[in-house]
Amino acid sequence: MNGLLAGLAILVIGDSHMVTNGYLITTLHDDLLAQGATVDTYGMCGANAGDWVYPTTVQCGRAERIGKAGAEIDRKPNVPTYQIDALLAKTHPNLVVIEMGDTMAGYGQKTLPQAWIYQQVHALTSRIAAQNIACVWVGPPWGSEGSSYHKTFERVKEMSAFLSTAVAPCKFIDSTQFSKPGEWPTIDGQHLTASGYRAWGTDIARSLDQVMPQVAKKP
Amino acid sequence: MSRLANAIPRLLFGLAALVAVCCAYSGAASAADGRLYPSGPPNGVAYLRFVNLTSHEVTITSPAAKIAIPAEAEYRVREFDPVPPGVELTGSAQFGETSKPIDVKLTANEFVTVAVVPDSPDGIAVTVFRETPSDFNALKSSLGLFNADKACTSGQLVAGDNHQPVITDVAPGAIGRRQVNPVNAELAVMCGGAGPAVQAKLGQLNAGDRYSVFVVAGASGTDIVAQRDEQAPLRP
Repeated sequence: MNGLLAGLAILVIGDSHMVTNGYLITTLHDDLLAQGATVDTYGMCGANAGDWVYPTTVQCGRAERIGKAGAEIDRKPNVPTYQIDALLAKTHPNLVVIEMGDTMAGYGQKTLPQAWIYQQVHALTSRIAAQNIACVWVGPPWGSEGSSYHKTFERVKEMSAFLSTAVAPCKFIDSTQFSKPGEWPTIDGQHLTASGYRAWGTDIARSLDQVMPQVAKKP
Repeated sequence: MSRLANAIPRLLFGLAALVAVCCAYSGAASAADGRLYPSGPPNGVAYLRFVNLTSHEVTITSPAAKIAIPAEAEYRVREFDPVPPGVELTGSAQFGETSKPIDVKLTANEFVTVAVVPDSPDGIAVTVFRETPSDFNALKSSLGLFNADKACTSGQLVAGDNHQPVITDVAPGAIGRRQVNPVNAELAVMCGGAGPAVQAKLGQLNAGDRYSVFVVAGASGTDIVAQRDEQAPLRP
């Protein structure tokens, strides 16, 4: 670690990988705190990138963890979505970390819904870029094949390649580089076991530390 | 454009079908198959827009709605609306006593532009442009040249005083597309290698945005309609 995360105010947002204790809202958040950053994490189960821009509701819960406090998890159905503009105004981050991909990759569909994904991604990154705040987008991990989520290694690879060209001006972190396909076991094809979330959180934090010199900073 | 778009019905064709897609999209994919949520629009999504390339207002009528598209520059190119793939979408374009049928079925990820163009002797004709783009890139700008002029046998988009080719050999009814760096280039359209170059004013191109340049038969030669594309979000 280069210590480049120390002193930063980091806003972390993501999908269901952020909405359960022991998931990234625990592991990544703790790792970033340990690096000396101030960290606020918000997760929305099943949320697409556009859900952080256009107010709606999510069906399977949302969670937030502010600084060193514990996570507050709301599992009620139809909870309102967090909105990125409000979170930016509230947390004043130097860096926004977005973890998202599984909810948009069209698992089970013949083709990757590129146009729709691009619009979703562009809507979110544009709001962050408009405030000249540095951002990093973390793509999905391999997961497991053969589940009801219909996630496949081939589609994860395709989605990661697509995100790498779609998320600018955010930098992209390719989570498939952290493990071999199937190396991190899952509980349902998509969500990792505790050891997987520990490894993923550590790898993301390490990658953030490495990409920080390339990330534009707010003047 | 956006003021009008907000003021008139967005759902043009197959209202019921579109609602069905939206509901399926928002609904929990959950209980039946153990998933907490879907991954993207369950049935895919396609995008449809209407463009008025005539010099007068035209009306688009569908089983669900009727909209008027003015000929003014800021209103004539509507945004791409999400529609369900695989559903036959029918309607008509009208000007005065002339009515031209519209019948399109889109595939997933397809972008279809239904352009109402000037044509004699009826006054209008409908040209359908279809593409399934795969050039989404947040670091580049995407330029599309839509040739809606039957007399322009080989549409060219050129840049700069020396007419550097950007997009070449676009036949009538076809689209040419190319990614370019997001710059403020002087763009123009030529028909064939010779002939006058007609300016296509897009100004500063933004990274990640897509643009359409339409070649239209004008009263005294080629006219150009050029604009940044807008895409309505698919929302529950």
